[in-house]
Amino acid sequence: MATTDNEVKELIKREYEHGFVTEIESETFEPGLNEDVIARLSAIKKEPEWMLEWRLKAYRRWLEMDEPDWAHVGYPKVDYNSISYYSAPKRKEDMPQSLDEVDPELLKTYEKLGIPLHEREKLAGVAVDAVFDSVSVATTFKEPLAKAGVIFCSISEAVHDYPELVKKYLGTVVPQGDNFFAALNSAVFSDGTFVYIPKGVRCPMELSTYFRINAANTGQFERTLIIAEEGSYVSYLEGCTAPMRDENQLHAAVVELVALDDAQIKYSTVQNWYPGDEEGKGGIYNFVTKRGACIGKNSKISWTQVETGSAVTWKYPSCVLRGDNSVGEFYSVALTHNFQQADTGTKMIHLGKNTTSTIISKGISAGKSSNAYRGLVKFGPGAEGARNFTQCDSLLIGDRCGAHTFPYIESKNKSAIVEHEATTSKVSDEQMFLCRQRGIDPEQAVSMIVNGFCKEVFKELPMEFAVEAGKLLEVSLEGSVG
Amino acid sequence: MKSAPMLSSAFLHPAGQSLPQPLLALRKDRASALVDMPLPTRKTENWKYSSKYLKLADDMAISLPADGTVGSSLAVPGYKVVFLNGVMIPEASEYPDLDGILIQSFSDLDDEQGQALAEQLGRTLNHDQAQFARLNGARFEDGLLVRLKPGAVLDQPLFVIHETTADASGSAYPRILVEAGANSQMTLVEEYISQGESAAFTNTVTEFTLAEGANITNIRLNMEGENVQHIGATGVVQQRSSRFESHCVGFGGPLRRHDLQVRLEGEGAECKLNGVVVTQGKQHYDNHTCIEHIAAHCNSEETYRNIAADQSHAVFNGRIHIHQDAQQSNANMNNKNLLLSNGAEIDTKPELEIYADDVKCAHGATIGQLDETSLFYLVSRGIDRRQANVLLTMAFINELMQQIPVEAVRETAQTRLNEFFEQTFQEA
Repeated sequence: MATTDNEVKELIKREYEHGFVTEIESETFEPGLNEDVIARLSAIKKEPEWMLEWRLKAYRRWLEMDEPDWAHVGYPKVDYNSISYYSAPKRKEDMPQSLDEVDPELLKTYEKLGIPLHEREKLAGVAVDAVFDSVSVATTFKEPLAKAGVIFCSISEAVHDYPELVKKYLGTVVPQGDNFFAALNSAVFSDGTFVYIPKGVRCPMELSTYFRINAANTGQFERTLIIAEEGSYVSYLEGCTAPMRDENQLHAAVVELVALDDAQIKYSTVQNWYPGDEEGKGGIYNFVTKRGACIGKNSKISWTQVETGSAVTWKYPSCVLRGDNSVGEFYSVALTHNFQQADTGTKMIHLGKNTTSTIISKGISAGKSSNAYRGLVKFGPGAEGARNFTQCDSLLIGDRCGAHTFPYIESKNKSAIVEHEATTSKVSDEQMFLCRQRGIDPEQAVSMIVNGFCKEVFKELPMEFAVEAGKLLEVSLEGSVG
Repeated sequence: MKSAPMLSSAFLHPAGQSLPQPLLALRKDRASALVDMPLPTRKTENWKYSSKYLKLADDMAISLPADGTVGSSLAVPGYKVVFLNGVMIPEASEYPDLDGILIQSFSDLDDEQGQALAEQLGRTLNHDQAQFARLNGARFEDGLLVRLKPGAVLDQPLFVIHETTADASGSAYPRILVEAGANSQMTLVEEYISQGESAAFTNTVTEFTLAEGANITNIRLNMEGENVQHIGATGVVQQRSSRFESHCVGFGGPLRRHDLQVRLEGEGAECKLNGVVVTQGKQHYDNHTCIEHIAAHCNSEETYRNIAADQSHAVFNGRIHIHQDAQQSNANMNNKNLLLSNGAEIDTKPELEIYADDVKCAHGATIGQLDETSLFYLVSRGIDRRQANVLLTMAFINELMQQIPVEAVRETAQTRLNEFFEQTFQEA
């Protein structure tokens, strides 16, 4: 493992150096953050005046804020002035020209995950040739989407083409000053996704950032805004199902979901950023703010996440259940290995009558990692008849890891009912014995047991995602036994 | 950013000079460390829900005088030590001179004993979590030392009555230290009561050290008045195969806060923590517990029930911390809450922090109202609605009340509970 890790590390380093030298200067900003940088960023993206104002407002708020330190994670402080806040996409010539140039270890992983060949190229950052040209792929799907009236584009395009919608909803769920990382994102977000589902439309296909090629190389600060009008339905998949060797250190995204009357949004994430090496060096800091607002009656927002990557994860997909009878769901599997640290969970804020929420969280820690569930369930005074069920289970593999649970439960309404359960266990010797006895090798046995442990969450994922998520766990757990 | 409020320097001047020299020195030392002690705010994690109730006016910094008369001459079925505003009143106390058992006020210690005690005080507590135990350390004027020699058994419960008499504004700082030798046993009952109407502040610290095989039961009953803010801390350190049992029964007030910290340091140690909280009106009560499993093969069992009526506010924060290598730990935490009114608020935070893999840990928490179906069942059988409410509410905590091993405490608490039922459930 050590040698392959070195290879990977070298690869990362090589890519980085390569990119650094050949990048045309005007395309990458000097490290540092100030109002000029934001103005330049906004100018490059040809944004209207109001957008720049919005960004600057967020930046000014950010300056007054302190980086949160309450999460159960430890990491060296990020110097926000040593980061470059705009980097143009790499030019084709700088990227590996074919799969032969890509690290074989990376390819092996893709093979294990069962990713089709052409997808592998894309994931490895191989310059896409004519057949898989981003434009053509995008247009193939754009047609049926346009027919249904669905708007699915990058947020930069949306700022130009649908300013009314963006103005109306951007920042309504996650305000600029919501938290440190959200404010930073609001100031400097590079790009992201915009989805609008009109009234009564059931989106004909599952949308994914993957379909949009420009999103495959999204920067550190992406911003997603999904609006589901009355009676509409959309299922959105985010993330990358293969290890993405990314040299970025900080990833601070914001996702906002808005569900109006009777609308449903299903948001699935499989996150597998580079988790750092076995010594805990490198890796992504994943500081993400995700929140959905069930504004309308009978609306529903469902978060499903499988988190296996990142060195440090700080992420709490939340639901604000404002509309009566609205439903929030959160299904999560978070796996940490080696020196990874995760502090993740959800917030369910019940404001409307008869709102219900379900939280199923499965944390798996292996190696020397630390995995924390932190959740808030809150019933406002008006949450008549509201109901929550929470279950968070932790599984420990090895005696040097940590599993933590920090649930906050607040109730101001007597008719609201909340139930919270949590358990912690390890892969039991009996289970292992049973599998070993039947000729299953220990690594496979652990992976089977872990898959069983996560089943409740995996069944919520769209089909092909679920299969990949299972395999992803297998890959991530490699080397955790024996 | 607005700077955090600080503890007023008025609080840094202890009264009462009757302590032995080493304890006076300790107190002075602790007071100097308190300069610039920030007061908890909404942003202070362990005071998140309670900081708004904390209102320490400067006139409350004055030590309440201990020369008043003891208000209640409680007859107790056992031994009795009475403290008035944190100072022991020997005339009102009745305790035996038993072989192997030392029961003594801090003021009666000589300098040598005082030196030994000074090294002991505050060792069981994590002061970062129980910030106000520091204040007690800087202000205590007296205290109770109970030392059990190995094998000593106290045949009857020892009642420690802490009375705060607030004829004028002021504060009291009661303190208890129990050192239980190997295989010793005792039951300590702490009762906190008050007299007078002026705004007062009681700040307590109770510490237990349990040597191998010791068996201690602690009952804590808080029934102070509506004028008394109370912040108390209990620290427990347990060695091998010792057993600690705690029963806390608390009725709300303008501010009630109790921190209970247990460290299981020896293998096979066991603790059981029970708690019942009842709040009404605009009252508040906040229980913070922390159980640290440091050694392997320890068991802990924790059950807390809160009932909040009217516009009151009950808080529970339970924390189980399993240290690395504390394998084969068993820990169970259960917190159930009953909201009787829409104006009331309950906040609960059952935490697990686990660094060992071969453990069995579980926690559960619920918040809800009285079950409509059960109410209907009772009413349909001719029990009036009010009585049905009382029955079900009592049933919610009865399991814990019945476990309190001293009948007199159960009766005292029941009387107070009946008043609560009377006020809360009106005739339909």
